[in-house]
Amino acid sequence: MRDPDVAQTVSNSPAGERARRFETGLSRAGLGLVPRLGRRASDALLARLLRLLADRHPRAFEALREMPDARVLIEPVDAPVALLMRVGPELSLHALPRGADGAGEAAAADAVVRGPYDRLLDLLEGRIDGDALFFRRELSISGDTALILALRNTLDGEDEMDLVADAASIAGPLARALPVLRRNAGPVLDRIDAARRLLPPPLRRGIERLEARLEARLGGTAGTPPGGLPGKLPGTGA
Amino acid sequence: MDNFELICPAGTPAALRAAVDAGADAVYLGFRDETNARNFPGLNFTRQDVADAVDYAHARRVEVYVAINTYPQAGNLGPWRKAVDDAARLKVDAVILADPGLLDYAAKRHPDLRLHLSVQASAANVEAIRLYREAFGVRRVVLPRVLTVPEIARLNAEIDIETEVFVFGGLCPMAEGRCSLSSYATGLSPNKQGVCSPANHVRYEQRGGSLASTLGGFTINVFGEGEQAGYPTLCKGRFVAGDGPAYLFEEPTSLNAMDLLPELKAAGVRALKIEGRQRGKAYIAAVVRAYREALETFAAGRPVPHIDLQAMVEGGTQTTGAYTRAWR
Repeated sequence: MRDPDVAQTVSNSPAGERARRFETGLSRAGLGLVPRLGRRASDALLARLLRLLADRHPRAFEALREMPDARVLIEPVDAPVALLMRVGPELSLHALPRGADGAGEAAAADAVVRGPYDRLLDLLEGRIDGDALFFRRELSISGDTALILALRNTLDGEDEMDLVADAASIAGPLARALPVLRRNAGPVLDRIDAARRLLPPPLRRGIERLEARLEARLGGTAGTPPGGLPGKLPGTGA
Repeated sequence: MDNFELICPAGTPAALRAAVDAGADAVYLGFRDETNARNFPGLNFTRQDVADAVDYAHARRVEVYVAINTYPQAGNLGPWRKAVDDAARLKVDAVILADPGLLDYAAKRHPDLRLHLSVQASAANVEAIRLYREAFGVRRVVLPRVLTVPEIARLNAEIDIETEVFVFGGLCPMAEGRCSLSSYATGLSPNKQGVCSPANHVRYEQRGGSLASTLGGFTINVFGEGEQAGYPTLCKGRFVAGDGPAYLFEEPTSLNAMDLLPELKAAGVRALKIEGRQRGKAYIAAVVRAYREALETFAAGRPVPHIDLQAMVEGGTQTTGAYTRAWR
């Protein structure tokens, strides 16, 4: 069973939404670190995450294993890493770095789902409707549409997933830090806001500029090719 | 005043729980095969899923309807009859059928099973509805989305069974159950295989800054940069004819009849249906919650609130469809 403290999610209040954004940024930065562990270690870490998810969502993972062998590239356009999920009997998950190292495997994907990291995370956790994102062009798909639909429907058939908590629970100290973060992030951010409002305008604008730069660095947007990973499927416009 | 019944979609067990928790009076769903008109990959319910769904819903005083609303294939009636038998065995509250042969089978084999006539039967006149009532004991008819509100009122004045109308979601502008447009492009249709624009025939391609949607190799639409996208259904395709590309049948738009609750009540409608078994649970929770709030407000005699569901709809635009359409 999941540790109830870790599973405690952020609320829908404005403070909760800001805490969610903070948490999302942190997890995006964490994902960026995964390939730096080296291929074997990162594969082992992601295999452990998959086993954990399979334990918590057996219905969905049984369905994923029953699908025909295929690969889906999940590509956050504002993160330094994409995820390649292999469905079918040999279910697996790999982190592909941007650039030449990940290009070959990315090109072998049967389908690609591409969008901002926070939207993809919301979608995978069932917090947001994928069709609505697609209508608004916040999400793009290419390749085998039936494969993407099967994956989406299978994951959406689960009650809300908590991928951030699950990922944190395999990452040692983060498992202990996350519940504290979730309990306190909203109120702390509110206090920072209140304090910021008291600052002189030039200092406030300077802090905002610094935050924007940090956001770009954490998101890995610098150096990201405009269409995403090189070597993607034909017809994706990159 | 009796409130409307709110009939809500579910394509997965999680979506069913979302619909129940958000305020559905009944949830409709389908088995995981070609016996229902939303036969998409990864969607729908196993028999065990339905048993669990019935337990969950009944514990909260919510009903479960099973749609078995495609037309059985000649020489292969087995899956459809088994679906009816299993629905009865699993103690669902009603089955939603379209085929007269299957209605006859259900009426004779399971006389206590409540029968609803699917929109796929496209029963749009008094004589047809009376025939289904007298021949098979149908208790409710889901009206096709081609009638105006005054037509629905006239119909209700002359029939003695309940009517259910669609109020939200994907808008099918055709006489349902009789549309074969999808077959022309793919060989598969909602009527027999339960799929309109089947996903394995759909591709999306970037063409410069534009997004092209194709079905069976035919380009159905090209959405310009920033333009809202839609599904590649032929009835909502943009085709080149005359002076240039145009929507010849219907634009990618969605039905929202929330503003028509007073008129639909005056017309004698019993139940309101939300479309979208193929949509995610987040859509279902948001739309069902919005409609529940609207119905409660309406039942209390207050003006129906404006609840923004724009972000949920195909094409980013909403319409009251045929309900208020002046032309034919």
